[in-house]
This record gives sequence, structure tokens and C-alpha cells, in this order.
Amino acid sequence: MIGRIMADIVAFGKGYLRNVSGPFFAFAFPILLILIFGAIFSGDNVATVDLPVQNLDDGLYSQVYLEILDGTGLVNIETIPADADIDQYIDDNSLPLALVIPDDFTAGIEELLYANGTGQVSMTLYGDPSRSTYGIAVGAVDAAITYLNYNLTEAEPLVSFQVSQGGAEEFNYMDFFLPGVVGITVMTNSLFAMTSICAEYRTRGYFKLLATTKITKSEWLISKFVFFTVILVASLVLTYAIGRALFDMETTLTPISFVLIAAGAFLFVSMGMLLGIIIRDPESGAAVANAIGFPMMFLSGAFFPLDSMPEYLQLIAKVIPLTYLNEGLRDTMVYSNNESAMLNLAVLAVIAVIVFVAASRLMSWKGK
Amino acid sequence: MVERVIEVEDLAKRYPPDTMAIDGISFSIERGRVFSLLGPNGAGKTTTVEILEGLRTPTSGRTRVFDVDTSKDYASIRGRVGILPQNFEPFDNLKPVEAVEYWAKLFDKRKTRKDINEMLDIVGLSERKNLLAKKLSGGEKRKLGIALSLINDPELLFLDEPTTGLDPKARRDLWKLIEEIQGRGTTVLLTTHYLDEAEKLSDDVAIMHRGNIIARGSPSELISRFGKTTVVVLEGVGTDGLTEVTRRGIEATEVDGDVMVPVANPSEMRTIFAKLSSIELPVKDMYTRRQTLEDVFLSLVGTKMDEGVLEE
Repeated sequence: MIGRIMADIVAFGKGYLRNVSGPFFAFAFPILLILIFGAIFSGDNVATVDLPVQNLDDGLYSQVYLEILDGTGLVNIETIPADADIDQYIDDNSLPLALVIPDDFTAGIEELLYANGTGQVSMTLYGDPSRSTYGIAVGAVDAAITYLNYNLTEAEPLVSFQVSQGGAEEFNYMDFFLPGVVGITVMTNSLFAMTSICAEYRTRGYFKLLATTKITKSEWLISKFVFFTVILVASLVLTYAIGRALFDMETTLTPISFVLIAAGAFLFVSMGMLLGIIIRDPESGAAVANAIGFPMMFLSGAFFPLDSMPEYLQLIAKVIPLTYLNEGLRDTMVYSNNESAMLNLAVLAVIAVIVFVAASRLMSWKGK
Repeated sequence: MVERVIEVEDLAKRYPPDTMAIDGISFSIERGRVFSLLGPNGAGKTTTVEILEGLRTPTSGRTRVFDVDTSKDYASIRGRVGILPQNFEPFDNLKPVEAVEYWAKLFDKRKTRKDINEMLDIVGLSERKNLLAKKLSGGEKRKLGIALSLINDPELLFLDEPTTGLDPKARRDLWKLIEEIQGRGTTVLLTTHYLDEAEKLSDDVAIMHRGNIIARGSPSELISRFGKTTVVVLEGVGTDGLTEVTRRGIEATEVDGDVMVPVANPSEMRTIFAKLSSIELPVKDMYTRRQTLEDVFLSLVGTKMDEGVLEE
């Protein structure tokens, strides 16, 4: 049995590595993801937002306010001519944001301060809440107003807060992202490759051919599992080394991360073979793998934390096997929480065994 | 006592809803013989072979190979059988030398590099052994398939349409190879729709049509039983020629513009030639030829076969 499995690993491996798409998805794909996302999210640059401002006030306090706003470092202030019609200007220039300081801004504050006036002086922020820059602009405008208020009233803030990342204080987004990339790589290589392999083997009669030899379906499946585990562990080590070298990642490779990869490969190889039962040709194989794989990719917390998703999507994520792989890898590689990682590994392993048994029993290499 | 390697009794296979691929056929094959299932596409040849290979289950009937019921315990004889499936395609990204080594290991056979090279030499792939299989020609791919089917030193070899789609030279090369395999005492079950192939290679032929065996015997037996001994061919005389011939009381048929006059008894030859010589039509050529399985097939099925397809 071992001899047959080894022979199949060697023969399959040669064929796989001589095909351009196999090594691309195993090695180049995760490295490209790390490089692209690393370039976008790493580094010390704080995001700044262009904020066009129409200052209709020619007094002191609007100038003070704009200096405070500029000092937040969150916005680049641009000037809108005072004589422009703001609605028309926003439309003509497709502005996502605009701040208008009214012409009575300074006068209103002076009245409140020195003439016992009542009410508030207000400015207007135009913006589209669906844009990611909107929140930054609101925060900056609000922070500058608060600061101005304290200074005008000569009050001291009583409550403040400090930012701390707790146990993961050294980690950045790329540390969070790497386990997700590894999880996706495990799934794409094992699931996508196996569905197309099954379709090709069926179309070209390889399954029938194999059925006439002594290798069994289980041996063949184990061979694929071992092969993909080796390839994916190599891919993880390479991606990890590049991530650490280029983006100061602090994640660590742990023994459990390798076991999780093996469990993931076992699951998705088996799942690919299970899909192979219904797939009749390579084209439909790719379509089915994509239809299943892509939702899993985005709903499993590979790119975004699960708790940032709506509650119903979090429920869906719970039934997606890739979630347990991503969470397990993150637990052990980022948070050093091996207990939680083992729990995710256990869930993954149980699903994998069920799918393996189903695949090896339900799939027939023979005709009817 | 003659050992029967394959025994088939009342074998039937129905595909839902109501396609009768095999309709109760029986035959047996003796050790060391080359047996051909000859027939057009859809005759039931491949289904029969795949049942014998344990790849399909019969609807009814019995199939035994080496005295083992193939629908129940094919695994026990797997190592004694070699198979070249229909439309064999090798693994594209493996070299012949790697593919043969791989296949030997799938049969738990320990083969040295020398054994593998010898096998590739037997099938004529020595010079192409380090080329990826996807770069081989159609004929070379089939030769690789035969090398794989022989690597476990089988006592019985199934060759399912081994030369279909190949050019004439590749076909002749494969015929030579099959004759060499036959010379080693291996029992061969060959399926083909090439009448010349069956006639050249087979000890026994079973002609299949619509799931039935309609004739069985050695090529010479079939020719003598179902064909005429000799045919006089009047080349290019067409329908007018046929009219002239039959007007003289001679039985004849027209095939592709030629008129065929079967002569059952050689003693009639002189009389027939005398009658034919009186025909005043331009004849491209007139010659006699021995009948072949093609004539037998035409006689039994009523139409000719081209690349496995029956002519209308």
C-alpha cells in the first residue's frame, strides 16, 4: 500500500509541478497577495482625507478652528471659493466631502462668550456616509470642534483614554492577514485542483484506468492529501519568510499551524473529490469550484475579522469549514492561543473525516 | 485439455431507460488465442469488454475470467490482466519512462530501470522515452498504453480498439506489436471495427451487431461460410454494367461503381468469363479477388462499415 501511495505521489507531483498553474496557485498566488496587501496596509502612513472647506467667515475663530483641524493630521484642507454656490460646486466637482463654515461663525461665538447669548454656533459637513473617508472626516471635524470648545470655555477634560492592543500589541494588519492567505491557499490548491483533477480523470478515462490497477480510491486520495500537505507547508514557510522580511510581521510558525494545514488539505482534497462525483467535465469543474470557493473565501474571515460582519453573515461563517482553518491559524500564529487553535483543529478534523469517508464511498471509478 | 481463459454466458446489459447494449451473448476464449469482437460503433463491444474488466456490472448473465466471476471478485485477478482502454490517453506531463515505472508500482511490481527500458524497446518507444507524453504522436501514445498494459506481465490482454484514429503506418506498427505479443503466448481480446485488422490478427472473430453476436469463427471459416470463394470485379462499369451482367443471367452487385460477380465454384469461372467478355462497355479493369471479412460483414449486415459507422 505504501509503495502504491508513494508511486502515486511521485507521478502526480511530477505532473503537477510541470504544469504552470499548479505551482502558481501554490506559491506565486499567496506571495502576490501578501505583496499587494502588504503594500496597501503596512507602513506608518496615517490615512489622510482631502477636505474641501468653504469658509464664509472672515473672523478670528474660523481661522483658529481651521488651524486646529489641520493640526489633527487627518485631513488635507482645500479651499472652496467663498462666492461659490456650495451645492452646485459639490455637484460640479463630484466632491465626496465638503465643510462649510457659516459667515456668522466668529460673531456667533463672540456673542455666546461675551454677550450672554444662548444656543450654539454650527458648521455643516457635507458627505456620503457610504464612503470610507466620511468617518475619518467626521472624526477630524468633531475632534477639532471639541478642542476648540475646551479652549473657548477654558475647561479641562475630565475623562480620556489610551489605545492599547493588549496581547497582540505588536501585530499589524499583515499579521492578521497572513493566516487568512494561508487558509485561502490551502483551499484554492486542494479544492480547486481536486475538482479539476477529478473532472479531467473522468473525462480522459484515468479513473477507469486506475480502477484496473491495485491502487484503491482511499490510497489515491491519501496520496493527494500527502502531496498537497507537503506543497502547502512549503508554501506557508515561503510566504511567511517573505512576509517577515518585507513587512515586519510578528506572527510565528507553530507546530499546530502545520497540523492545521494538513487537516485543511485533507478536508479540501476530500471535498474536491466529493464534488467530482457530480462534475462531468473540466469546465463545469472550475465553475462549481469557484461557486463554492469564492463565497467561502470572503465569508470565512480570511480578509476581514468575523466580528466586523453583520450577525447573519457571522452565522453563515460558522458553517464554513474554511472559517475554522483561518481562525485556528490566527489563534496559533498571531495570538499564541493554542487551546483555541486546537478546538478549531478538532472541528476541522471531524468535518474532514466525514467528507473523506463520504468521498471515498460515494465516488465510483467504474461505469454503471 | 484446453483451458478457457474467458467464458461469457447469456450476457446482457441494459442502459436505462431501454437501451439494450448487449442482448444475451455467449462465447469463450481459449488460452493463447487472439479473439476479436468485430462490429460497428454501438454494437456492444466495449460494454462487453468493460464487464469482463470488472468496470461495469451486467444486467444478467455470467462472465468468468480465469474462472473468477468478474462482477464479484475481479480484484483477485487484477494482476493477471493487462488493459488498453478505448481512446487511451496517457498522463500528459509524465515521460514514457516515468509512466511505465509508475504503472508497475501500481501493480506492486518491482521493475528495474533495465526492465522498463526493455518494455519501451518492445513497444518501439526507446528513442522517445524521455519526452513528455503530450508530445508523443497518436500512435506513440497507443504504444505507451500497450507498454502500460504489459508491465504487469499479463496472461490476458484486453485491447479495446487499439488502432482507431491512427494513420496507416501507425496501424501497421501496432499490428506488428500485437503479433509479437501473441507470439509470447498471451491471450488477447481485441475489439475493432477494422475488418482487415480483425482478419489479420485474429484466431477467432465474433461479429457483433446491435448487441448480438451474429457470426463467430476463424476469419477463413467465416469467409467460407458466409462469403463466396472468389469475386470477379468489373471496375468502373457502373449501373449500366450491372444491367448488362444481370441480363446475361449472372448474379452480381454494384459497389461504388464497380460490379462484383461472386463465383461460388471455381469450375464456373470459365463460363462466367465467356459471358462477361461479350459485354460491350468500357471496363477500366477486370480482375478476380479472394473474399475478405468485409464481404462477410456486407453479406451478414447488409451494409458496409466505414470507421465504425454503418453506411446508409
